[in-house]
Amino acid sequence: MQAEVEETLKRIQSHKGVMGTMVVNAEGIPIRTTLDNSTTVQYAGLLHQLTMKAKSTVRDIDPQNDLTFLRIRSKKHEIMVAPDKEYLLIVIQNPCE
Amino acid sequence: MRLQPMNLPRQCLASGHSKSCQTASIATAEASVQTRKHADAEVQTEVPAPVGARTVAQHDSPRLAAFLRRVEAMVIRELNKNWQSHAFDGFEVNWTEQQPTVTCLHTLGYPPAQGQGLHVTSVSWNTTGSVVACAYGRLDDGDWSTLKSFVCAWNLDRRGLNPQQPSAVVEVPSAVMCLAFHPTQPSHVAGGLYSGEVLVWDVSHPEDPLLWRTGLTDDTHTDPVYQVLWLPEPRHSHRFQVLSVATDGKVLLWQGGGAGQLQLTEGFALVVQQLPRNTKLKKPPRGETEVGATAVAFSGFDPSLFVLGTEGGFPLKCSLAAEEAALTRMPSSVPLRAPARFTFSPHGGPIYSVSCSPFHRNLFLSAGTDGHIHLYSMLQAQPLASLQLSHKYLFAVRWSPVRPLVFAAASGEGDVQLFDLRKSSQKPTVSIKQTQDDSPVYCLEFNRQQTQLLAAGDAKGTVKVWQLSTEFTEQGPREAEDLEQLAAEVAT
Repeated sequence: MQAEVEETLKRIQSHKGVMGTMVVNAEGIPIRTTLDNSTTVQYAGLLHQLTMKAKSTVRDIDPQNDLTFLRIRSKKHEIMVAPDKEYLLIVIQNPCE
Repeated sequence: MRLQPMNLPRQCLASGHSKSCQTASIATAEASVQTRKHADAEVQTEVPAPVGARTVAQHDSPRLAAFLRRVEAMVIRELNKNWQSHAFDGFEVNWTEQQPTVTCLHTLGYPPAQGQGLHVTSVSWNTTGSVVACAYGRLDDGDWSTLKSFVCAWNLDRRGLNPQQPSAVVEVPSAVMCLAFHPTQPSHVAGGLYSGEVLVWDVSHPEDPLLWRTGLTDDTHTDPVYQVLWLPEPRHSHRFQVLSVATDGKVLLWQGGGAGQLQLTEGFALVVQQLPRNTKLKKPPRGETEVGATAVAFSGFDPSLFVLGTEGGFPLKCSLAAEEAALTRMPSSVPLRAPARFTFSPHGGPIYSVSCSPFHRNLFLSAGTDGHIHLYSMLQAQPLASLQLSHKYLFAVRWSPVRPLVFAAASGEGDVQLFDLRKSSQKPTVSIKQTQDDSPVYCLEFNRQQTQLLAAGDAKGTVKVWQLSTEFTEQGPREAEDLEQLAAEVAT
């Protein structure tokens, strides 16, 4: 089980341009990360809040709908969040310019 | 108690006018309001969760594995799509108002100092970015040790700013050569004098501003102090000490002690015989053993590493942790050490200014009297690039605090030149004329809080605060990588 988790995260991390990968639980606490401690805590807290807001926005517009994926594109890179009931998978990619 | 009738005062006859006035009728209206819906909510603050929570929290491994199995395919698909996507090519968003050109926001001066023909030798912004201070002195002539001089500060955020009237003026008995505001105290400023003294003032108390001084002891510099800096103390990083460099070859660290006296805590001395011999230097004139230091810059990445600019034109990489004793006979209450670790290839003349890049640990710039800027990497003695910016002297060079590829230089021809290495590595992107009669610009500093501001002081005694165009304040998408590439051009 443990090995499968590590394998999957390693596969994602080794993708082209990926700068960091982390898994955050439902309370916004990081569980796995490839970045340093302070950066991870910052990303985890902020993106957890943003994901909750995005999810409630989608459901307010249409209660039958739900958030499946969140992407934030910034000048320097792209942050992708795959949300779930219990966890969040956050991947930061530096796309080819 | 019976009330006595008072004598009523006589009517005073006086000539007077009577006027009556009446306000115009005031318009009024009535409306009634009532809330129809209301909601109750209770609010309570929670104690903020401590930062740095454990990263390996209690979790259920099978559930985590199941989650990852569910999302992996989708995430990989999105990563691949993103890598090949051209959807955002050339797409730029502007969040701030675009400023197309460089404009002069303020022209500040102190008439009594300008009347004496004093130059602005140094400018400094305080920690909040709202106060700019300048030091008056002279950079061209020799003995001005008896000339009274000034340190003036203007608070740019105050309403009713009078450019000719500084918010604080400190009179100083000798020409001030350099100035540096305290990193956390908004009103403390350190200055180095022509006489070799180092003083610390508090500009919020104009009646009695002097806080500490070195006085003229055996420890004090015997030559003009060219640059002062504040450094965090090694053990108490919220307290600071002052570092001063002078052409007597000494680099000294001072701490404020009791009775307003700056005590020497550590000292370094540069001696020709102890310079690292990795670069062949011209032999100094006979009898001269000291190497005059004219500029200093600390690297933001390594707190004990610093670069010194020298009168001989060669930058030196030095370390605060050096232990070898200096072979000098200069008296000192603290043992002087030899700090130099590496000698870089020289300019054609003395260096006036050095600046370490805030974005790359190995890059620094130096500027000197040969009119050239050298871009050095800490890893090699030869400069990575040598640019001629002026046919006269260059007095100051500073990296931009926000754009990794931008730096500014002050020239003896009266311009402030802004270089953007992304646009051109040969000529300046913008050349701002500061003085009308081509008299030199002696100093410049970027404002770290309001990053569009640049202050520059010149030989006419004026400080001009320039507002930079947006191209100089917003980082491009791959600048840090481009800088990295530039630094990697180290010859192998």
